[in-house]
Amino acid sequence: MSTDEVESTFFRRTSRWKLIVLLLVLALIVTVIVSLNVGYAQIPFPDILGILGKQIGLIDPSLISPQNEAIIVQIRLPRILAGVLVGAALAAAGVLYQGVFRNPMADSYVLGVSAGAAVGASISILSGIGFVFLGLRLVQVAAFFGAISAMFLVYNISRVGSRVPITTLLLCGIAVNFFLFAVVGLMEVIAGDELHAIVFWLVGGFSNVLWRDIWAMLPFIIIGIVAAYFYVRDLNLLAMGEETAHHLGVNIERAKQVLLVLASLLTAAAVSICGLIGFVGLMIPHLTRVVIGPDHRILLPTSTVIGAIFLVICDDIARVVATPFASTLELPVGIITMLFGAPFFIFLFKKKKQSYAA
Amino acid sequence: MLLNVNGVECRYGSVKVLEDVSLSVKGGDFVGILGPNGSGKTTLLKSISRILKPHKGTILLNEADIYSLKSVDVAKQLAVVPQETSIGFNFAALDIVLMGRNPHMKRFQMESEKDMAVARKVMNLTNIWHLAERPINELSGGEKQRVIIARALAQEPKILLLDEPLTHLDIVNQLEIMDLIKDLCVKEKLIILAVFHDFNLAARYCESAIMLKKGKVFSAGSLTEVLTSENIKSVFNVDAIVTRHLVTNSVFVIPLSPQKTSPSKKCSIHLICGAGTGTALMKILLDEGYSVTAGVLNVLDTDFETAQFLKIPVTTEAPFSPITEKTHKANLEMISEASLVVLTSVPFGYGNLQNLEAAIAAVEQGIPTFVIDEVPIERRDFTKGKAKALLAELKSKCAEFVKDQNELLSLLNVSVEKLKIAKEERDRFLAHLKPREVPKETKMRGKGEKS
Repeated sequence: MSTDEVESTFFRRTSRWKLIVLLLVLALIVTVIVSLNVGYAQIPFPDILGILGKQIGLIDPSLISPQNEAIIVQIRLPRILAGVLVGAALAAAGVLYQGVFRNPMADSYVLGVSAGAAVGASISILSGIGFVFLGLRLVQVAAFFGAISAMFLVYNISRVGSRVPITTLLLCGIAVNFFLFAVVGLMEVIAGDELHAIVFWLVGGFSNVLWRDIWAMLPFIIIGIVAAYFYVRDLNLLAMGEETAHHLGVNIERAKQVLLVLASLLTAAAVSICGLIGFVGLMIPHLTRVVIGPDHRILLPTSTVIGAIFLVICDDIARVVATPFASTLELPVGIITMLFGAPFFIFLFKKKKQSYAA
Repeated sequence: MLLNVNGVECRYGSVKVLEDVSLSVKGGDFVGILGPNGSGKTTLLKSISRILKPHKGTILLNEADIYSLKSVDVAKQLAVVPQETSIGFNFAALDIVLMGRNPHMKRFQMESEKDMAVARKVMNLTNIWHLAERPINELSGGEKQRVIIARALAQEPKILLLDEPLTHLDIVNQLEIMDLIKDLCVKEKLIILAVFHDFNLAARYCESAIMLKKGKVFSAGSLTEVLTSENIKSVFNVDAIVTRHLVTNSVFVIPLSPQKTSPSKKCSIHLICGAGTGTALMKILLDEGYSVTAGVLNVLDTDFETAQFLKIPVTTEAPFSPITEKTHKANLEMISEASLVVLTSVPFGYGNLQNLEAAIAAVEQGIPTFVIDEVPIERRDFTKGKAKALLAELKSKCAEFVKDQNELLSLLNVSVEKLKIAKEERDRFLAHLKPREVPKETKMRGKGEKS
């Protein structure tokens, strides 16, 4: 290939990246609208568009059935948007964890963040207090702070002077993770009637999502993702190894600190909405890397959007699978993500493993 | 550009790995860092590249403390080629080289035409432009190392630190890369600090060097001052011959294998050799624990120089002179002290014919005598058959002929082994009595007579 060709291919990449992100965002919007049509109550598609139009003041309100409007606006829309936010947050967090740890197995479990959230949630479920803080249920607040505290605990245990070696961080994280899940197990044993609630929280689902949950977590998730974007090139350099990144001008200790806090914040916000949802944070970044490549400048935005699309579709499946049985019963989405996501990932990975294997 | 290291001390925990290391280099200097494993070479590079902050001392970059500068500002001036690199994700070679532009880019800036031009330039220099779009993990070790070097050069540094940069490269690659780096050093006034394990590569490219021993500077200065056989001996515990290479005229080091501390065999071997036929044997026999003598050798003969170097006693004759009666006698005296005589495949002329007579005298005295008959005597007899006749006499007098040096060595080992077993058996039988030492000489001599 000639010099000019290599260079022009390289410079065309930027516009290709923009196109990919644009297409993915369009795909996400389509997914959201189509998903509004999914559920027990059959609402015709034109009506859905009408209801959406009414919300932004385009359509005459008298044409819309108030019952259908309530289903769409109060039940389906918040839950789908929650899927978007949580999927985006978990996938973005996964990209950050894997980038910082340079380890394909890294996700929110390795720093004990998920386990911390689980402990917070199960304690609050057991306490049976119907406490509401700024419109949020206690479980959500407890999960959020459980996650953040676990991260700080692990970070401080692993610190050697002013440095935090990655290996120590991984090992401490895994140890704390096991410890905290043992605490959760203990809770489950003594839970009695509350056991169902804890188990349900641990697999994660969107059945109880309200608008206020979304408003409460939206700032954390948006700030988290935007702030992470400041560090995308540092993540590329970290992939070369910490010392090399340092030689190339990255302030590695600060970058690690910021990125881990952001990843944990994103995870905490996500799990506080819907409980633990596995697979998204681990697999979506891999899946995206197989298709798009390893450059974090494109990996982070695409993973974020793909995570959102993926989780919304999984939630759709969760609702559809449950529909034949009853309007109230439904599968937790965490089960769907793993049940359908894992085989798909294995399929993709086997197809492209040649070029992906390091 | 100036780099000053002043009295640096580094520790891992309580273990001092560098102590009071100072050096001062300026643009255009190519400095080799030498020393055995664990002597602190890599640590020194780490402290200069701000990975390991020294406990004492300062490192100044143009008079600014390097630890007070921002990472990005240091990265614009100083690049490092590490010993090994593992790259987490499968980036293309060009992407990796462009990462070297990071210190020159603003946070949200994409690579500009200028960055691309720099990347292309350094990739052409390192001869990897054709690999630009290949994923890094599909490249060979040598190609990968070139990518890493190109990335360092893409930083447009003033100082380049190289930590054994040539480990994965074959000889052609090594020379190409080093020639390139040397060129940059001379033309662009780069400071090059490079850790070398290969003395000869260091000698070929560095003007100055520092040699570290146990974290301290053992020797520093111009390469010829540092790379001496005395320094190599005391720092690496290796005997080495340091000469100037006839072709490249750079200092040339021939390391000999490290001195083995074989227990002394209390057995002295006299070598009759010359013209380099005894050189290898001298070293091996010494290593095996024998004491070695040699003669008669002409001064300036290769074997003579080796013997001088290995401090082997020699009966000598003046350069290019035939052996006189006096030296022949001296040699016979030396032979009578030996417990074994070895005659190598040395060529014979009228000047050294007497050495063959000396061998015959040895056999006659009952000293076991081995003859290495590797080169047929016809091809090394320059005395119109006299040497051939003497060699035949030697054979008739039951000197032991071996086909080469290896056979001799295995025979020697076997006989030493036999002596040992015999002694152990005797010791076992006479355990209740006072153990008697069996003099090896007697036994060896016996063997020689039998054969």
